[in-house]
Parts: sequence; C-alpha cells; structure tokens
Amino acid sequence: MAMLALLYIGFLSLVAIFSPLIAGTKPIVCRYKGEVYFPCIEYYIRGWKYPIFLKDRFRNVFPKNLKKKDPDSWAIFPLVYQDPYRRVRKGEWEDRPGNQSGAEGRPSQLNLFGTYGTSGIDIFASMVHGTRIALLVGFVSTGIAAVIGITVGAIAGYLGGWVDMLLSRLIELVLCIPSLVLILALLVTIDRPSIWHMMAILGLTGWTSMARLTRAEFLKLRQSEFVIAARSIGAGRLRIMFRHILPNSLAPVMVPIAFGIAAAILIEAGLSLLGFGAPPPNPSWGTILNSGKTTIQAGYWWQIVFPGTAIFLTVLAYNLIGEGIQEATDPRLANPGN
Amino acid sequence: MCCHPRVPLCLLLVGLMLLTGCFPSGESDQGGAAADNAAGGSDSGSDSQAATSATVDGTDDTTDDAAADTSETTDFVLGDLVEAFDPPPLDKLVADNQWRDMPVLDSVQLMRDRKAGEDPPPTVADVLGLRNTSPAINDKILAAMGQLADEKTAVDDQAEWRRHTSGDVKSTNPLLGSSVAEFDVSSLTGFGLFGFDWNFVPFASKDSVASWKSSENGLYDLVEMRQDLVWSDGTPITAHDIEFSFRVIMSSKVPVPAMRSGTDQLKAVVAYDDHTIVFFHQESLATNVWNINFGIIPKHVYASTIADDPTLAASEAHVSRDENPVVGGAYIMTKRERGQEIILERRESYYMFNGKQVRDKPYFETVRFRILQDPSTSLLALKRGDIEELQLTPEQWKSQTGDDEFYELNTKVYDLEWVYFYFGWNNRSPFFRDKRVRQAMSLAFDHKEMLEQHRFGMDEASTGVFHSTSRWAPPNPPAPYQQDLDKAEELLAAAGWEDSDGDGYLDNEVELDPDFDGNIDGKARIKFEFTILTSNRQDRIEICNLLRENLDSIGISCQVKPVEFTTLQQLSRDHKFHAMFAGWGTGADPDTSENLWTTKAIDAGRNYVCYSSTEIDALFEQGKRELDPEKRAKVYQQIHLKLWDDQPYTWLYFRNGYFGFNKSLRGYNFSPRGPYGYGPGQSTIFKAPAAQ
Repeated sequence: MAMLALLYIGFLSLVAIFSPLIAGTKPIVCRYKGEVYFPCIEYYIRGWKYPIFLKDRFRNVFPKNLKKKDPDSWAIFPLVYQDPYRRVRKGEWEDRPGNQSGAEGRPSQLNLFGTYGTSGIDIFASMVHGTRIALLVGFVSTGIAAVIGITVGAIAGYLGGWVDMLLSRLIELVLCIPSLVLILALLVTIDRPSIWHMMAILGLTGWTSMARLTRAEFLKLRQSEFVIAARSIGAGRLRIMFRHILPNSLAPVMVPIAFGIAAAILIEAGLSLLGFGAPPPNPSWGTILNSGKTTIQAGYWWQIVFPGTAIFLTVLAYNLIGEGIQEATDPRLANPGN
Repeated sequence: MCCHPRVPLCLLLVGLMLLTGCFPSGESDQGGAAADNAAGGSDSGSDSQAATSATVDGTDDTTDDAAADTSETTDFVLGDLVEAFDPPPLDKLVADNQWRDMPVLDSVQLMRDRKAGEDPPPTVADVLGLRNTSPAINDKILAAMGQLADEKTAVDDQAEWRRHTSGDVKSTNPLLGSSVAEFDVSSLTGFGLFGFDWNFVPFASKDSVASWKSSENGLYDLVEMRQDLVWSDGTPITAHDIEFSFRVIMSSKVPVPAMRSGTDQLKAVVAYDDHTIVFFHQESLATNVWNINFGIIPKHVYASTIADDPTLAASEAHVSRDENPVVGGAYIMTKRERGQEIILERRESYYMFNGKQVRDKPYFETVRFRILQDPSTSLLALKRGDIEELQLTPEQWKSQTGDDEFYELNTKVYDLEWVYFYFGWNNRSPFFRDKRVRQAMSLAFDHKEMLEQHRFGMDEASTGVFHSTSRWAPPNPPAPYQQDLDKAEELLAAAGWEDSDGDGYLDNEVELDPDFDGNIDGKARIKFEFTILTSNRQDRIEICNLLRENLDSIGISCQVKPVEFTTLQQLSRDHKFHAMFAGWGTGADPDTSENLWTTKAIDAGRNYVCYSSTEIDALFEQGKRELDPEKRAKVYQQIHLKLWDDQPYTWLYFRNGYFGFNKSLRGYNFSPRGPYGYGPGQSTIFKAPAAQ
C-alpha cells in the first residue's frame, strides 16, 4: 500500500511540476515577431511577464492575438486550454464557446470537471494548478518544522541538563500556540499575505512532536558505545550530534514528518474552505470546495466531488506512507510473528 | 462618528455572519439591505429612526465613544451639549410667527390611495400559481400581493408572523440600535412622531400626532401630540418624553453619536404642556424635517437611572430594563432567547384607549424573529415554513428557489433597491490621486461580465450616487462605464503610467506621502501594484478577482485581500488601503451622503476614500440651506455629476432586493429601501386565514 501511495504522490508531483503544460491559456512556447517566448512561465512565477505582450496589447489572450498580430507566429499550447485564474471567454479560441457557470457548468468536453464560482472557472485547470499548492504546503511547512524540530530536539537531548530543561519548556510553550488563530491574525497584519506565510506559520508551530521524538532518541543514543567512542577520540559536539547520532535517530522522526505533511494539506484545505486559505486567485483545492459548499443545495456535485476526492486521496497517501515508514523502522511491527 | 445618524446609510461591507466568526457563504446580503430598513417607520411602529443610520454589519460604532466618554470623571449632566436656552412663552411664539400646516398622514391610507390609482391587479390565487421567471410575472406578483386588506378581505388577526433576521439584538433601547436586527425590532416596538413614505416624503404620523405646524421662517416646528397615547406600562406618552429623549441624546456621556448627528442641529426641544412640543432650530435648513426625528424613550423609566449609568446598558437596572422594555409602539417584546429568537406580541394598549379602538389594530398577534445567520440554513427554514420571509441572495434566487419544493409554501418577488456597490479608490494612495487613473480603472473593469455573470443579469448598472429614478439624480444620467482597455491605457499613459523598465507592469515616478506610504518621502519610481480589500465572501471576492484579471491584462498588478468584517471596517476608517469593495444603502434625504463626500467627513465621517473637493463641500452646504425643492434637486444633481466625473468610486451595480414570502402573507410593497424601511412598510402586511 505504501508503495502505491508513493507512486500516487510521485504522480501528483509530476502533475504539479508540469501543471502549466497540462492546463493553461498561455502558450508553453511560441514564436512571435522572430523571437521565441515561454509565456507559461508566468504560471510558475506570478508577476513574471514578457513586456512585449503588454506593449502589443495581447490582454492575456494569446491564440487570437498571435495570429492577428503576426501571421507567421506559431505556438504550442497546453493540453487543455483552460485557465485556473479566470473564466475562458467566448471567442478566445476560434469557435470555442465561453465557460458556463452554475448548473450549465457541469462536467463536459470543454470543462472536464465542470466549473465553479459565479464566473465559471474551470475546475480541472484549477485542480491541476492547485496540486502545486497542495504539495508545496505539505513539503515546505513540514520541511521547516523538521529542521527546527530536529535541531531543537537534538540539542535538548544531547546536552541535557538545564538546556534540556529550557528547551523542553519551549516545546511545551509552542505546543500551546493554536496555529489556526495565528494564521488568521497574520492574514490581517500582513499587507499581502501569501501562501508562503501560511506555510511558514504551519512550519513554525508544528515542529514540537518531531523535537520530542528526536530528543528521546538522542537521550537514548548519547550513552551508547559509538558515541562514547567518538567522544573519546576527540570529536566535537556538533560532529557527534549531527554526524553520528542523527542518522541513527532519524527513522522514527520520519513518521511524524509524513503525518505532518498530511495534516498541513488538511489545514490548508480547511482554511480555504473557511475562506482564509490561499489568497485569491490561488486555485487551491479547498477554495473550490468552499464554492461548492455554498451551492450544495443546488446540486452542483462536481464542485465537491473532484476536489474532495483529491484531498482525500492525497491525505490518505501520506498517511499510508507514514505507516509504511513506521512498519519498516519498527522491528516489532516488521516481524509480527515474534 | 462613522455612523451618521442623519441618514440611514449603511455599510454593506459584509454580512452579519462574519461578525460572529462564521464563515461567509452565499450572499448574506440580508444583513445589508435589512439595515436600511432601520429607518423604517410605519405608522404603527416607530418612525423615530427615520433619519438614523445603521451599520449593517452590526458593529457598533458607538462603543469607542462610550469608552472615551466614560473615562472622564465628571458627573453626568443631562443635556450638557444643549446650549442654555430660554424658551419664549408659547402664546408669544405662536403670535409672533406665521405658521403653515405640515402633513399629518396615515401612511396606510397613503398606500391605499396609491393602490387605488393603479390598474386592477391579478387575483392572488392566480399569481400564487405562477413561477417568477420573468420581469412581467414579477410585476404581476408584486401587484397582486401588494393589495391591502379592506373590509372584504379575510384577515387572520390571530396570526403569528415568523420572520427572519440574520443577527441578534444587542439592545432593545431605541437610542442604542445600530444593527439590522435592532432596527427590525424597534420599528415594531418603538414610538415615533414622524415617518416618510416610499418617495421619501416626510410626514407626521396620524397615529401619534394631532397637528404639525412649521413657522414660515423655518426656525420652529410645533407639534400637538394625540392624547390617547400610552406606554406599555400604562403611563401616558407625553411631550415631556420627547424633550427628555432629546436631552438624553444631547448628553456627552450617553454613547449615541449616531443618533446625535442631526439632532445636534436643533437648538432646543421644549414641552410646553403634556401634548405640545416645539422644536427650535438653529437655522432654517432643508434637513430640519429630518432633524426632529429621533428615538424616543420613556422619561418616567429612565429619568432616575440614567445618572448612575449614562451608557444606558451597563447598570443592573438598565440591563433588566433591556430584557423587559417599556415601549410605545404596536408590539411589545415578550421573550428573547439570545441567538435564537425574539418574540413580539401585539399590545392592546396601543390601539385601545379607555375601551375604545383609537388606532388600527395591528394585523399580527405575534411576530417571531428567528435568528439564522447562514443563508443556506435560512433558505431551508423558509422552504420548511419555519420562517415566512427571507431576503434571498441572487444565487439562491436564480438556482435554488425555482423548484416545487420552494413554491409549495412560498412565492418570491424582487424589486429595485437603492443599494449600490462600488470599488473605492483611496485618494491618498499614490496610485489613485490622479482622476485619470481612477477613470482608467472604471474603463478597465469588465462591467458587462460582472452584470451578466456575477449578478446573473438581474441587477442594474450603477451610474453614481443617486439612482436614476430618484429626484436627486440628473435628468440625463451619465451612461454607465463600458470596458475599453485601449482608452484606459491611454488615460494611464497620460497620467504617466508606462512600462518603462520592461518588466511587463506599469510604473511611474510619483510623489510619496509620508502619512500614507510610511516613512518614505519624496519622489520614487514605483510599480503599479496594489491590494484591494473586500469582505470575506465568495461572491465579492470573485468580483474583485474580475478586476484583478482585467487590470492584469493592462499591466497592473492587483491583489485581492479578503478580510474579516471588523478588520475591513477598521482599515477603511483609518484610510489604510489603496482600494476597497463595499456598498452603501440610501438615506431618506440626499444630505445624508454628505458624510461620504465632504472633506470634513474624512476624519469625522465615512469618507473612507479621502475624497476632497471644495466644490462638493460647498454644494452640500448649499443643498442643506436650499429650501426650494426644485433648486435643491439641482444642487444634488450637480453633486452627482461632479462625483461621477471624478470617479472616487467605480460604481458597479444596484443590488435588487430579492425576497421569498410565505404564500399566506399579503400586502407587501417595496420602496427603494426594501419592503420594510418606509411608511407604511410592514404595517400593511397581513396573513390570510389558512384554507379550510
């Protein structure tokens, strides 16, 4: 199961990395007036633009303008011509109707997963691009948490004494901070809150369990023979901690990391569902769910089912991976027969 | 303070639900529109708040003042804000002035007269079988259901009306009301002398006033009250209550700045005997008819307790009074369960006096307000029949109220309301100081897409501060803006905004304002990149998102920042924003919008966008003093055009009032302030007896 889950996460990562090639309205690559451009980069780096398209008044609509303004131009478009940030209008692409909204926005050939919101943004495109957010939130916030947690745990566990005492109290203190409330407060104070701020907060508040586990491992290992041996030949503290003990204590820490990623994804989706998640127009899965929540009485099932399934599967996958690591590293679980 | 009393302007930043920390969903404009009703006033209820404003979202602007006021240690002095005044003897006053009679009307009769002049409506039975799918059908339903009860109509006068309100009532004291729910309740329980009709023509209510005279010089209003008025505890309602209420409002320690604005234009209010009251004005103003309209509280109840607790809400006596108020209106509150429901009962002493019926008997035995915040829950309750009226969101109107399930018990109608929504551009922001940039914003926005997609093609484009059917709008209103990106780019280029550094976004050399931009002073080249604030509701975020999309295509980076309602209010009051999306309801008098546009309203009013123009300031002063209605209208028409030209806002749309009503209800009619916020408003609504 864990392998299957790993495969699924691998698949999601591919989708996330190549999202602008799968769905978008900006060409992957195009040749215009003798130069080659890659307008799809804007999907990776928001605000990154080629000035020529502003000057030539493209208005973010490429297909018809490329042909009109330079007949010799060519372009390779993403597989699905749909945008995660806006609704595709009629006439952007020859003979192609604009996105519908509401009941008419049900899944169709043009909108594979239907549309959401009053304007009618494509759910498929939003989910493809939303994968980036979902994965990033998990990795980055848990990454921050892991670095802090392991460092603090290592210092506390290895040094012991009053340092341990102080750091343990710090861990308990941080444990008390409700990260949701902190995020809500932060969104108010920052002029331009971004998804990165959210990740930072999730990371800065979510490291405690890892710190505790690392500390416990270090407490155990610092008395072991190889540490005493290392110390006796004059290895420095840092070297002992990070070169000798850490690799041996990492296995149990991997488990909360995997679960932490799942939790971070859930928190992001929950926040978006409440309307406080990824700031608009970021197409996070939770945002689509939020829109589905208000129209659920009208029976727009596609606004709930697709993003809901994606969140469910991803969280499940991380949990399975977590359990897989647990089984692989815990000898009692590995050989249940004994 | 922000809550300008003069007018029922209301801040539609957000639905009530946000306040309580619930998440926003759907369009909870219930909050919004209902607030306008505040001023309602119907003959049977209190017309007293006619000129009072409400912040729709229930945040009480007065609280700040309360804190400030009570921090002083001086003793409470009743009416300390009123200058010493020695009233002339009544006979001398009467003899020395020319008097003209002012209208004393029964608003129900007024409505009856209006109805008599209309084409015969379709029958109720016919329209209740209809589905409201086109404007023609909507008109039919409105005409049929708006019919008033007459001798031949069967009325269930033991009925209970189960109403919806989206927030709880903080206080039942009519002076302290600030939210929609509070005005909903106090318009049924409160006592007042004055009201206004659906055209915003003011009059004195026949239910409480015997005669009303104004002096020719516009300085005095003389009102004879009826002698058959009693409070719910049996004490007669007298002129002394009016004078007392005036003095309470004009006490610096009483935290009612909203109610005070307007009332503070009065020199004095003097009760000459139990039934004769004279309002003394400082000068002759067109707004004087509104200034004499304020909330009224019973003197015998509050005279002894107010000195101990000028906040009217803290002492034990006042708290228990709040639970058990003495009222002068048609209904009395008999039960209140916090966050759940409020029950009002018909008051016999209101319409009976010494065993004789002296006023119309209110149609309902009981009015029960159910407090439901979530729009989806509210709609379910309406479909089940748990509530019998509900303001619908456009989305609900369009996609969730067209089925048998809804039409089994209900019908729905909509009508125009003068509630407009806008993008406000902060004139202090380095981006929006230039008029050309603001015009470019209006040109860049895709109004058509907004009206058709986001407003479902049902709302009307807004063309400025006054609605085109209002007397105050110019006869040839300006055409609404249409998207024209080329022209927007030209205007921006003319204002200096061009992509000079080749990053795909516009930039310009601008003068920075240390007050607004922080510590930076002097000139700097900045990128056109700003944040627009909106309340945290999906539909509003999406409209801002459309703006973002439009601006992105001409090289302007716009971020949408949804914030919680209280934060939005705080930021807008502090002018700490570049742009914001919000809405305003209408006041009964155009002077009420003074507090949105004049220079002095930047610090003391709701001029959040810091718009300042000496011409506008002068015009508002002129409008206040111009007594000739024709000429006065011209002044406001000028204001309308000047504001339209300057585009401190990008006016977006007028939001219709969409309502679902239970099929048993009859007699509802709409005004530009919705079905309740005028006279007669809710006092003509009745219930047909259940079919046997």
